[in-house]
Amino acid sequence: MITVKNITKIYKSHIRQNNLFKDVFFRQFKEQTAVKDISFSIGKNELVGFIGPNGAGKTTTLKMLAGILYPSSGSLSVLDQNPFNKKQEFLKQIAFIMGQRNQLIWDLPALDTFDLQRTIYEIDETKYKKTRNHLLAILQCESLVNKPVKVLSLGERMKMEFIAGLLHTPKLVFLDEPTIGLDIFSQEAIREFIKEYQETYKSTVILTSHYLEDVKRLAKRLIIIHKGIIMYDGSLKNIIEQYSTAKRIKITLEDMVPKSKIQAIGIPVTYTHPQLVFSVKRSELPEKIKQISQTLPFFDLTVEDASIEEVIRTFFSENKKENSKS
Amino acid sequence: MKHNFKIFFLFARNSMRTTTQGRLGVVVFTIGKIIRFAFLFILLFFIFSKTRVLKGYSIQQVALFYMVFNLIDTISQILFREVYRFRSLVVNGSLDTILLKPYHPFLRILVGGVDILDMILLIPYTIITIVIASGIVPIGQNIFLFFVLLINSIWIATSFHILVLALGILTTEVDHTILIYRDLTSLGRFPMAIYQEPIRSIFTFVLPIGIMTSFPSQALLGILSWDMFLISFILSSVLFIVSMSMWNFALKQYQSWGG
Repeated sequence: MITVKNITKIYKSHIRQNNLFKDVFFRQFKEQTAVKDISFSIGKNELVGFIGPNGAGKTTTLKMLAGILYPSSGSLSVLDQNPFNKKQEFLKQIAFIMGQRNQLIWDLPALDTFDLQRTIYEIDETKYKKTRNHLLAILQCESLVNKPVKVLSLGERMKMEFIAGLLHTPKLVFLDEPTIGLDIFSQEAIREFIKEYQETYKSTVILTSHYLEDVKRLAKRLIIIHKGIIMYDGSLKNIIEQYSTAKRIKITLEDMVPKSKIQAIGIPVTYTHPQLVFSVKRSELPEKIKQISQTLPFFDLTVEDASIEEVIRTFFSENKKENSKS
Repeated sequence: MKHNFKIFFLFARNSMRTTTQGRLGVVVFTIGKIIRFAFLFILLFFIFSKTRVLKGYSIQQVALFYMVFNLIDTISQILFREVYRFRSLVVNGSLDTILLKPYHPFLRILVGGVDILDMILLIPYTIITIVIASGIVPIGQNIFLFFVLLINSIWIATSFHILVLALGILTTEVDHTILIYRDLTSLGRFPMAIYQEPIRSIFTFVLPIGIMTSFPSQALLGILSWDMFLISFILSSVLFIVSMSMWNFALKQYQSWGG
């Protein structure tokens, strides 16, 4: 579905010389490589998480895949086409939903945008109504469609944005930080929506997000990009296993316990009675559980993997160490 | 084609609905446009209170030039209003979402904001033009040539606006470019003959403002030669090719600003 071979994108920007005359007549430019010689491929019905720090090149890559940006070098094929040609049959099969962009008509109800989308994508009336009602039902926002977009909250607007963007049931969906700025309830609703949408319509989804929870909950495959270079391309499970060197033991204590007893087991990550959390190495896990059972009175004990944020942090710090060694 | 017209009409409908949401704005802007039009007409009569002819043109003929200019300008304003809002689309990155739609982006960024206020004014302008023209030209004479050149004028205006869009992408600057365009075209309110050389030739053959604003009136009055008639189409075609090349170049340079 997507094949990317040695794609590079270089942005050119003007360097200020603190001299108006020079800035106007002898302008100097600097080149900044946003994406450097990256290659990957994505198959049908995959949901891929694309993550990396700010300025890593995630959005630039997505925009080249969608045909918004013209690559400086390399080749790419998306749905067997060169996306930059922007052929109508290609554009009808994709959707690009951005958390920081708005395609809804601001002063009019979202329903007007939906109608416009129906005409633009030439969606059959029956199919349009069926898809629209289905998407509205998943997001439980039927009551919002007749309100002007400008009176909707950010979360409500994002739900409408999703419906407008997906009415034509595209084969390929680009989601660029779709949950940015949303409260936890809206984030959850959007995540559930993406999951259900992808399962129902069998689309290929590429998701970028700074909320790693989005990626953890939705993606099986992960691509990590940093300074324009792909640093990891593989399953989410693998990276967690590889870089999650510690596990978390969460305990709900039955009674107050002297500090010395707790410290005998280890320094807790947090302790707010009755909740106590230890972070322990995988290899030490059975021994620690045994020790806790013998010394601490508790109602409940659970063992969890390290958070995805911790895993990615470990991944980056290990890579940094390797780079500085080499 | 039918699909594109459908989208165009939907954008036009939405634009009108958006405009009419603020009724006070509709009233104030319409009055403003009428006052501006009336003041220029008063200026015209003031000039002719001092002189009987202007470079060989009578007051009725100059009034015809002025009205045809207004027709072309108003049609451009009706069609290309969205160009005035283009900068914000480039700066905040909303242009991305437009470039991804399965229609030509011009449907949205060039003609996607039909201005109903100017549409209302087109009715009295057309009536006044017919009244003035019928006083100096026999009814029906040269009317075909006039309409062909009027369409050519809209084509030139389209090319100028495409150039503004291309520059908007390359420089993120639209407001000044469009103001320069407006100032230059306003030179065409009166017959090009009133300007000295080389200004007259520059504004006819280099920047085809004269072809756009004066040639239709000259054709209606029967004073446009056939070679000028042909040259007007050659120049408008060249301008269109240049503006489309600029647009395609600008798209390749587009950096998708705004995150």
